[in-house]
Amino acid sequence: MSVTADPFRGDPDDPSAPPAAGVVELTVPVESDLLVLARLTISTVAARSSFDIEEIEDLRLAVDELCLSVLQGRRVGRLHLRFEGTPDQIEVWCRYDGTAEPADQPEGDADTDGLSGRILDALVDEHGPVTGDGWLGSRLCKRRVVHPD
Amino acid sequence: MDQIFGVSEGPRHGVSVVTVSGEVDVATAPAVRDCLDVVIERDDGMVVVDLLGVTFIDSTGLGVLIGARKRCADEDRELRVVVSEPRILKVFEITGLTELFTIHPSLDLALAA
Repeated sequence: MSVTADPFRGDPDDPSAPPAAGVVELTVPVESDLLVLARLTISTVAARSSFDIEEIEDLRLAVDELCLSVLQGRRVGRLHLRFEGTPDQIEVWCRYDGTAEPADQPEGDADTDGLSGRILDALVDEHGPVTGDGWLGSRLCKRRVVHPD
Repeated sequence: MDQIFGVSEGPRHGVSVVTVSGEVDVATAPAVRDCLDVVIERDDGMVVVDLLGVTFIDSTGLGVLIGARKRCADEDRELRVVVSEPRILKVFEITGLTELFTIHPSLDLALAA
């Protein structure tokens, strides 16, 4: 699935306007030890949207995999994330800003692309590539499970 | 707060054991790979990877374990994994890796099996 709307454009009439309620944006340099910030952010957004502990853990892993799928081993540039949480669902967009080419897997490691896909298939309701104004990225959506009383 | 990452290795009842704790991701997986490389290169026989203290693992960490298992298998050696945390076990299950790895719920059981 490919989504063409550009979630990073904000309000075209007022680019300096703050994000809408429930929206958190995060920009980090591409440094491997900073991916923890993406996991921390999704934990907070999901908790604010009343997702339960298990769903939050699923989202932590899913967002980590989303970032890895966008980075594809790149080690320079910036990663932009947009988290949009409501009581019903969470959407996350991830885009890479930079000029680096994808890097090969470290020698001896298994190919992790298939693993990432399986993890995302299992943990979220939707995921796939997105295209915007001159950029490529990925998006996921996880709907909250409503437990019967 | 999540446990700080760590990896160490040493013999246990004559078996090479690699013990990992904390979060295993793209930042920390290389240290796990390096430790496993040393153990597989230096020692003979079975290798046990103790993940009891691991609080998070992603595809990067799994890729390192799959690579280590392949290196062991190429030398007719076994690599066993110790996992008891349901959250970590779930990652192995959804990726189908419970079919690839011999997973034990405790280090004692992994060493005794």
